[in-house]
Amino acid sequence: MSDSESVYSNYGVYEVNENLQLFLPNTEIKIDKIGENAFSYFRKDSEGKIIEKMIPVKSDEIKLELAPIRPLNHPARRTGHVFLKFDREIYLSKNSAASIFVHCPIEIGIFLLHGSNRESLDWVTCNPLNSRFGLYGSPDTGTLCKYAQVSLATDYNDSLPYVEGVMKIIIENTLSSGQTISKVIFPITDNSLYYEDSKTIIDGIKVTMKKRAVVNIVDVKTTSVETDWTASPTWEDTTVSASLEMGLD
Amino acid sequence: MPLELLQSLSEMQIVGELTVLSLLIGGIIMAGGVIVAKIAKLLFHKYYAPTLPKDTAQNLSKLIYFGIIVISFLGFTSSQGIDLSGIMVAGGIFAVVIGFATQSVVSNLISGVFLIFEKPAKHGDTIDLPDMGISGTLLDIGTFSSKIRKFDGTVIRIPNEKFFTSNIRSLTVSTVRRADAMVGISYKDDIENAISVIKNEILVTMPFVLHVPEPEFRVEELGDSSVNIQVLVWHPRDDWSQAQPILLSTIKRALDKEGIEIPFPQRVIWDAKN
Repeated sequence: MSDSESVYSNYGVYEVNENLQLFLPNTEIKIDKIGENAFSYFRKDSEGKIIEKMIPVKSDEIKLELAPIRPLNHPARRTGHVFLKFDREIYLSKNSAASIFVHCPIEIGIFLLHGSNRESLDWVTCNPLNSRFGLYGSPDTGTLCKYAQVSLATDYNDSLPYVEGVMKIIIENTLSSGQTISKVIFPITDNSLYYEDSKTIIDGIKVTMKKRAVVNIVDVKTTSVETDWTASPTWEDTTVSASLEMGLD
Repeated sequence: MPLELLQSLSEMQIVGELTVLSLLIGGIIMAGGVIVAKIAKLLFHKYYAPTLPKDTAQNLSKLIYFGIIVISFLGFTSSQGIDLSGIMVAGGIFAVVIGFATQSVVSNLISGVFLIFEKPAKHGDTIDLPDMGISGTLLDIGTFSSKIRKFDGTVIRIPNEKFFTSNIRSLTVSTVRRADAMVGISYKDDIENAISVIKNEILVTMPFVLHVPEPEFRVEELGDSSVNIQVLVWHPRDDWSQAQPILLSTIKRALDKEGIEIPFPQRVIWDAKN
């Protein structure tokens, strides 16, 4: 981790008695005790958006967990799919397999801890410019995905703190000809995240290119990571969009 | 005492074999039918409707309600000893007469049935009826008419026949939609540079604009005062408000930053004497 990264707060559980300040890239989070049984929460994110909340509590302290979450909530929750476009293409010969590590964007969740229960208090993204949408397929039947251009990683420790986690992709080509792979589209809702300090690992996927009848298809399955890193709480924003109704062209 | 009362009611004839008692029993059957229908409808709405699509739930609810009412009516007629076959014949002739008299009502009813089965749009869909100049959210496809909530908040009722025979443009079927804008740049400015500047500003500042497919640019016209470029961007279906209304201001901001001129129409007049 570089010096600039070392000033940021690590993932993990924080106990707040009086006040707490969390530092993330381009993001400021403050929790202050404002009364006997109440705390205030303040967050200013990388886009200048400010969120303020009051947290009434039964005890005189609160526990918070800062943890990476799936990259599905910014700018709004619209899909459960992710479209990763590799910065360089991967060529796979016929009847061969390869495993690669890739960076995958993440968001950061702030959770309130009540015993073993975790409740989502807020979430942020430290790199909004890499949190965009893309369409796989045609406008009428295609799949809307969260889109990101990603680079290959060397191993699980190559995670970009607070911005991108690392996931392992096993690609298997059972076809009778070589194939070039430049992107992968998959539902990320079954992939768990794990963290240690400021780094993140995401459950991997296994991509199998195979022939069914006369059609070449791609089969994508989630593969769990065996790690002693801490498992992140799973959470996505499920609030209904309050956007204006659509107008006409 | 009650038996005597019933005995006396059964002896009180109204018309032919129709007695006060049989009429009372018929009334009880009909009232019971209505109550059962309402309870069945209520239970259906409480326990089953939430698991079904809204329009299917509404149609099934109507089917259950009117089905029980019809069964109750058949029970009522049989309790009165009414021979339905005679009514059927008379009813057939009557129906033809009524049919001619109420063509539009029947047409609306039939169109409503077709709309329920064909489902060109479902409850909650945002639709546009270009023939009628109506657009909004479909609230209900009823027995005779359909209701649409327009974007200004008012609700408009459209007879089913008109709804069924008009063109229906659905704005919610596709996963994504496209927004567009036209902008003119001066002839002295570089087109490729202007496109690059606009594209970069859109991708950076408009988070709901899709990166795949990318924003598209078409030099649409070499106009009188400007080179007109059409800008086309895709966005998630429900986020029209995050794309179309701010697209032009984003384009202008991008061009202003780079000092690219958006020319206004101007005409040079030469004085022949000079």
